[in-house]
Amino acid sequence: MQHLDPDRLVLLALSEEQEELTESDHLAQCAGCRRDLDEFREVAGLGAECQDVHDLPPPPERLWRAIESDIGRTRVREAPVTDLAERRIHRKPSRRWAPLIAAAAAAVLAIAGTVTIDRVLDGRRTETVTARATLSPLPTVSADARGSVRVLADGEMEIDVSNLPLTTGFHEVWLLDPDDPTKMVALGNLSDRPRVVLPVPPGTDLNRFRLVDVSDEPHDGNATHSGNSLLRGTLTS
Amino acid sequence: MSSDDELAERLRAGDEKALRTAYERHGAAVLYLAQRLLGNRADAEDVTQVTFVAAWTGRDGYDPQRGTLLSWLLGIARRKVVDRLRSAARDDRATETVRTQLAPSDDRETPERIVDRLVVADELGRLPEEQRRTLELAFYDDLTHPQISAVTGLPLGTVKSHIRRGMASLRRRWEVDGAAFGSRSAGPSRAL
Ligand SMILES: [Zn+2]
Repeated sequence: MQHLDPDRLVLLALSEEQEELTESDHLAQCAGCRRDLDEFREVAGLGAECQDVHDLPPPPERLWRAIESDIGRTRVREAPVTDLAERRIHRKPSRRWAPLIAAAAAAVLAIAGTVTIDRVLDGRRTETVTARATLSPLPTVSADARGSVRVLADGEMEIDVSNLPLTTGFHEVWLLDPDDPTKMVALGNLSDRPRVVLPVPPGTDLNRFRLVDVSDEPHDGNATHSGNSLLRGTLTS
Repeated sequence: MSSDDELAERLRAGDEKALRTAYERHGAAVLYLAQRLLGNRADAEDVTQVTFVAAWTGRDGYDPQRGTLLSWLLGIARRKVVDRLRSAARDDRATETVRTQLAPSDDRETPERIVDRLVVADELGRLPEEQRRTLELAFYDDLTHPQISAVTGLPLGTVKSHIRRGMASLRRRWEVDGAAFGSRSAGPSRAL
């Protein structure tokens, strides 16, 4: 049996030429050629419709930002909160940070335009501690990374970290609601310092936002949590 | 341009940039499908958003052996559209709208048809430049082989082979990836 030539099928499908009688006869008998022709016709029809969709405008950028922020939240949710709590039980209580040798001068640095105050603690501070937390590394972070947190009665939080992995971005401190880790408060960044004091926004409920989280944030202009948590620990009074 | 395989691998590794690439490549198609099915831009943008978030959280479920990234994304988007129409129906405020939306008056506008169109358009965009131009002249401008040859200056034989190869590529992709095939059983024994 002489099947229809592929070139011929395409010409027929594009309605560029009409079927010859012998071709019609063959198509009536040959399911294979008939299917080929039908499918090429379908494709030709779809091809003509492609004009409507071949140059679609890109979706708005804000849509991507919304996607990105949803993804940031799902990644924070994925981080193992309970796992950390278990690890802390087996860990020996971390050494209280040793009193610093009195610094020659307490440099007080207020950075204009930001609410972050970095301060070299000089050991003379005697504020009442209202809550503290020991920060432990997440499983992806080297086991010797650690930190400690003290919340002072004046509403400031002292954070002391060591052995954090290097970052090309910066380390940011958050307070998370462990019952719903998508809810969080950004406190500020560590600015490459092992010890900083950050103000806790007035009115923050530390019974709810009791999970302290230090994350690695890229310089991508995205203010949401990167999902890359390094240290975590729960505040207790 | 990285292949779907590469993108899938990066997605599975948790590379957010791969999702961005997928969004740049296929976000417009997802939005188009959603808007066609929902008939409303705001809802279509919502569906596009949840589609890419679902693609991210469900990224382990994408298997490049079973279809292209585009058809996988369009499949998610269709399910999200259905979810949305159902919840709207549950709310009962839009039952009537839903009914009319699910039964489009123009029967070329079935979800399958729209998906097929997007899949074929995507494949058309992947063809070698000269092949693609030749097919566009045939499809969009309804030119015959000799007319295309005259317009492009390509020999008639070249035009013929471009069109034959191009059509074969589009057909193959449509068979692998098209909604019409995906929703029925794939394969050559398609009901006529
Ligand atoms: Zn035949």
